[in-house]
Amino acid sequence: WKSSISVAIVGSGPAGCYTAKYLQRYFQQADENMSISIDMLDRLPTPFGLVRSGVAPDHPEVKNVQNDFSALFETEKLPVSFFGNVKVGRDVSLNEIRSIYDIVVLAYGCESDRKLQIPGEDSLEGVISAREFVSWYNAHPDYSHIDAVVSKALSSKEIRHVVVIGHGNVALDCARILAKGCSKSIGLDSTDIASHALSTLRANDTPITITIVGRRGHIQGAYTIKELRELTRLEDEGYGAIFSISPDELEFGSTQSSLKQLEKSRPKKRIDKLLRQTAARNGTLESVSPNENLVKLRFLLNPVSFEPSLTEKSKLGFVRCERTKLIPHKDIPDDGQSQIAVGTGEYVDIPAQLALVSVGYKGVPIGGLEHSFQKEKGIVQNQGGKVDGEGPGLYVTGWLKRGPNGIIGTNAVDAKETVASILQDLKDEKLPIKNNGGTAKLTQFLHDREVKVVDWGAYQMINSVETRSAEMRNEKQPRNKLPTYHELLNAAFPRDPRPV
Amino acid sequence: MFGTISRKLGGNSISFWRITRRQDGVVLLGRIVERIRGFSTVNITYIEPTGVEKEVQAEIGENLLDVAQNNNIDLEGACGGELACATCHLIFEKDLYETLPEKEEEEEDMLDLAFELTDTSRLGCQIKVREDFKGTKLRIPDDGF
Repeated sequence: WKSSISVAIVGSGPAGCYTAKYLQRYFQQADENMSISIDMLDRLPTPFGLVRSGVAPDHPEVKNVQNDFSALFETEKLPVSFFGNVKVGRDVSLNEIRSIYDIVVLAYGCESDRKLQIPGEDSLEGVISAREFVSWYNAHPDYSHIDAVVSKALSSKEIRHVVVIGHGNVALDCARILAKGCSKSIGLDSTDIASHALSTLRANDTPITITIVGRRGHIQGAYTIKELRELTRLEDEGYGAIFSISPDELEFGSTQSSLKQLEKSRPKKRIDKLLRQTAARNGTLESVSPNENLVKLRFLLNPVSFEPSLTEKSKLGFVRCERTKLIPHKDIPDDGQSQIAVGTGEYVDIPAQLALVSVGYKGVPIGGLEHSFQKEKGIVQNQGGKVDGEGPGLYVTGWLKRGPNGIIGTNAVDAKETVASILQDLKDEKLPIKNNGGTAKLTQFLHDREVKVVDWGAYQMINSVETRSAEMRNEKQPRNKLPTYHELLNAAFPRDPRPV
Repeated sequence: MFGTISRKLGGNSISFWRITRRQDGVVLLGRIVERIRGFSTVNITYIEPTGVEKEVQAEIGENLLDVAQNNNIDLEGACGGELACATCHLIFEKDLYETLPEKEEEEEDMLDLAFELTDTSRLGCQIKVREDFKGTKLRIPDDGF
């Protein structure tokens, strides 16, 4: 007598893949009488989530984790099945999936943005989120419309200005990709950056100044040292971009509480040292020569409004920032470290034709999460990965569970927690094993609804088209991503006579 | 056209590769002689997050991430050993830790992000097995589950 458990995972990024990995491993090593079937759904025809559409093109080593994830689908014992181009909420509802699978794990991450909620954010041309910009340069099929926005914003024949708002790695990625993409000498040709992005960034070789701003000091920044170091090396590596930091702004941020924070954190100490070295080398905030590209990392500036250009009222012209200072946080018991940034009444207008708002990704709800989705935070309420308030059998992992933080590896630990909750519920018999069809039922639904399911084999067709050497700009380019659903599905189903 | 390359791997293993270029330009690699394994291994123990101790025979010169993965030890290596993540983080015994080769800046940068970092932490992919690792116990950080 064999018992089999059917699992559907919604989302095939690191969260979904690590969850599948640990579930698969447990059952591969378990009693032969217990079996599991795991189906992984993704609304895109391609798997791996932000590993494909978030990691920067010049960070190919970070994408190596895809090899690890691919093994899930290719292993002999209890392989995971990929259901690409299947959107939960459109092609099949969450409630339908929950009725046919014993266990459903939500791993679909965060697809929208935390907003600044300041004037001009939604009305002026040239203001977009960093997430949209990143999706665009990574050839995400839902973001090709960003091309026109970026192209127009960067079309000036005078010095172009971009402001990136935020002090995390996404903000630094945006600045670095802009600096490298707009570089006159070497560029991003040998990467997997979207072809349209490469040409848009290269179209105009007028110098560009990129200013990264954030409301707190350098010690509070959420960035990590590897990404900061890459900015310090732009010049030496031949990208023709100076990286500049103001020594004054470092000093303003070095309050007693900040220094205490520093003392307790080795990573922050190393960052402080690196930034001080940079300020000592390139301390002026103005461009060294009008022909060089400039990346400025600025602190203690809080954007209060997006202002229109003086000549064209519909376009962004300036980002108005208020100078801030750090003071101890009143509501947090005195640990000597917690501070907030408050306005000083002094304002700075930073010119900008393009503004990238990078203050956090945010999750979105789907039907069936009315009791558990927390709108403010954009996450699904849960206990150790078990979703609250929607009945048994529903779990969550990754950013949708804990918010948009951490690195790829953080999802491994997160997934272990959720899998532990699932296994505990199975042991405690809190999960009714429904035997309601699982894969067969889903396949039937999708067939009846004429959904073109991209399975692992069909994805390999896309993969081989994208890595075909004939498509490459040069020998080093690793992949030429197909940027539209049309091209992706044509590659997946080459012999299909039906137009896509 | 044919070419033969012989490569010395580690202290005691040798591999021979034969390269053949077909007329249509495809390159084939054939391993003519399998690695001649030296018998230079030492026993080391990995302590998995669950507390389970697993002793393995580790080949001298191999890095600790590869040793773990070749022996089915529960150690992640997301970036495949290219200093682009912190998942192969291992905690060493103090005495051995102090004799390890110095960390390069890149490893330090990644260690800053490691889960449950300690004073005797290193990234497994950067440490190659030595004779004097014999009998040592390497702890994989407890992820709580």
